[in-house]
Amino acid sequence: MLRALVQSTDKVAVVPQLRQFHASAACCKVQSGRYKITPKRDRPLTYEMANPPHFIAHRKSWNSWDTTTLLDGQRAAETAVEDVFIRRFVTGTWHDQFCSEIIIKRQHNLIRIAGIIKQGLAVRKMYFLIGYTEELLSNWLQCPVKLELQTVENKESTIFKYI
Amino acid sequence: MSYYLRVINSPFSNILGENGMLRSVISKKILLFGNNLNCTRPSSTSNSEGLKKSSGSNDMLYQSVEVEMRSGEPAVLLSYEWFASYAANQLGITIGKCWAPPKAHHNRLTLLKSVHIYKKHRVQYEVRTYFRHMTYERLTESTLKTFLEYIQRNVPEGVALKITKKSVVNLPSQLADEFQSVNFK
Amino acid sequence: MSAIVNLRVFRNFQQFVSIRPISNYPTSFSKNAEIQKVEEEEEFRSLDLSPNKSLNVRSFGRKLYKRAVVPPPRSHKMPVDQDWPSVWPVPRTFHPASVPLPLNQGWVNPGATPPGKFANAELMKIPNFLHLTPPAIERQCKALKKFCTEWPKELNTTEKIDHHFPIKIITSDYLHSSPSLRDARARIVTLQLKLSTLKLDSHAKDKLLRLVKERYNPETDMLTIVSERCPLRKQNLDYAMYLLNVLVSESRVRPNNFAKQQLHIVCVLCANRAEFIPKTEPWENEKCEADMEKYVWEGSQSQRTLEQLLKRMPDREKAQDLPEVIEQYSRNVTHFHNEGEDAEKVNAYKESVKKLLGLNA
Repeated sequence: MLRALVQSTDKVAVVPQLRQFHASAACCKVQSGRYKITPKRDRPLTYEMANPPHFIAHRKSWNSWDTTTLLDGQRAAETAVEDVFIRRFVTGTWHDQFCSEIIIKRQHNLIRIAGIIKQGLAVRKMYFLIGYTEELLSNWLQCPVKLELQTVENKESTIFKYI
Repeated sequence: MSYYLRVINSPFSNILGENGMLRSVISKKILLFGNNLNCTRPSSTSNSEGLKKSSGSNDMLYQSVEVEMRSGEPAVLLSYEWFASYAANQLGITIGKCWAPPKAHHNRLTLLKSVHIYKKHRVQYEVRTYFRHMTYERLTESTLKTFLEYIQRNVPEGVALKITKKSVVNLPSQLADEFQSVNFK
Repeated sequence: MSAIVNLRVFRNFQQFVSIRPISNYPTSFSKNAEIQKVEEEEEFRSLDLSPNKSLNVRSFGRKLYKRAVVPPPRSHKMPVDQDWPSVWPVPRTFHPASVPLPLNQGWVNPGATPPGKFANAELMKIPNFLHLTPPAIERQCKALKKFCTEWPKELNTTEKIDHHFPIKIITSDYLHSSPSLRDARARIVTLQLKLSTLKLDSHAKDKLLRLVKERYNPETDMLTIVSERCPLRKQNLDYAMYLLNVLVSESRVRPNNFAKQQLHIVCVLCANRAEFIPKTEPWENEKCEADMEKYVWEGSQSQRTLEQLLKRMPDREKAQDLPEVIEQYSRNVTHFHNEGEDAEKVNAYKESVKKLLGLNA
């Protein structure tokens, strides 16, 4: 599973590996998960995007629900990597379909993936993709995986505000 | 039904986090939730037969059971505690003390805001764990297994449980009667 | 009817806009009204069997993409008195079309309406208990009730439980969300026992306490054995019971001289117990008066001196109540040593010495 994330090394073997010293000034600005206001005020934001990360647990809640981060939680690192993998896989499989973040909930050994998708997809295609995602992920992660999706008419209906 | 079928047939079906003692719990699960379920695992079916035979003959007694719930979201814990108490009431289980510590456990990480300099500017991350405890008193083994199975099945995501069971056992026969008849003096 | 609904929606939208001019996030109300309208207009979805002529003509070109018709949310067709536990039987992520509740969730500026239930990711994130409504719990508990057994009525007090089942075994189970259900902490077994239930004599108790050291709590009279060295709980449990057996058997064995005398009796009695061999510890005989935890009159220096004194004492001077006097003297000496000296004890000691020596001054 990890091989999918790490680049294979045999192609790079010919090129000498270069590691350069980071000499430019550090960017001290806190900017992850924050969006700039556009001059025309027409950048669409979902509710998730409208609230920067420090509002987690206050105005918005987590995208991953598991017990790894609690006191004496187990498999924190493995679960984090798996979550990244699930997010990448689902985003790629459902290309341009998800209108929200991908929510991953873990209960016992069951992984439930929730999210909001667009209604444009043909019904057969959607059923195929659901089965495909569940089957492949449960094969890789050795857990039962369930996809619980909500559909919306278009992407605009998830938009909370424009900035 | 399909949800249970999926979980039971998967190789990791036993949800009790413990080592190999209570294999019969799997079979009980099948008895409880899958009366019309054709389970293909031979070990489970044989276990369920064994359970039917052995149930009733030697039930362990548990003086008290403490359930410690931990989660990052206190509201979920509150709902879950309500559910567990309600279920205990329905099953006729004596509920003992239930409490929550006044403060959550805070795991704080204080890091430099920049990569490696500017010591005055830091950023702090925090992971909280909220606790809640419930105690149940005087349960027999089958009641306890049924009840725990039920509340563990319905544990919401992001909640971890620690169940401390206090069972009572009689003295082993060699300790109870050894040397009682022999007087050394 | 539909016009009125539309009008109301429009007015509501105006208000909405005036508060938050840049948002077109759908509220549950407007969405509901829209759906209601759709439902009123077409009661049955028609199946179109004959393809449209005009489309057939241009079929050589690019095919027209036809969207699948999305039925209205089924929450509108739900009767009021429906059986909710069968609508939502198992834990599931929130789905707005199956929950007939007007829910809003999200933080907005005060005065505005929070986002409605449709297309709201916040409602999907939070774990819901919709499958655990009181009727559902009642129904499931009713089905589970037959697997429960009653607690024996005779064991209604803690004293009775302690009397019949003196050993307490404490174990823990851990439940967390992970593909593996193993937890190393589940192997730890704690065994607790009140020492008074073992009915040990003073020598055995003394030896046991020396063996268990800090595992004994004198305040509660509780002996605690924690076993965590084996990988499985069953093994740890067996090991703890084995330890208890060995400790008690070991402490019940007498020192050398007694054992030699009693060896044949024990061997006859325990012929069927091959594992039992009375062992003696060399250090047990080395215990002298200075090693005592408490002053014991029997076998002490004071008793020997008194005996010598009594031997030398002429018979005619021995009083009639000598045994009582000696007993009182021994009691006073023991108190004097064990409980510390104060004026009262010194006086009592003085009186008993005077009585013993026949000094009536």
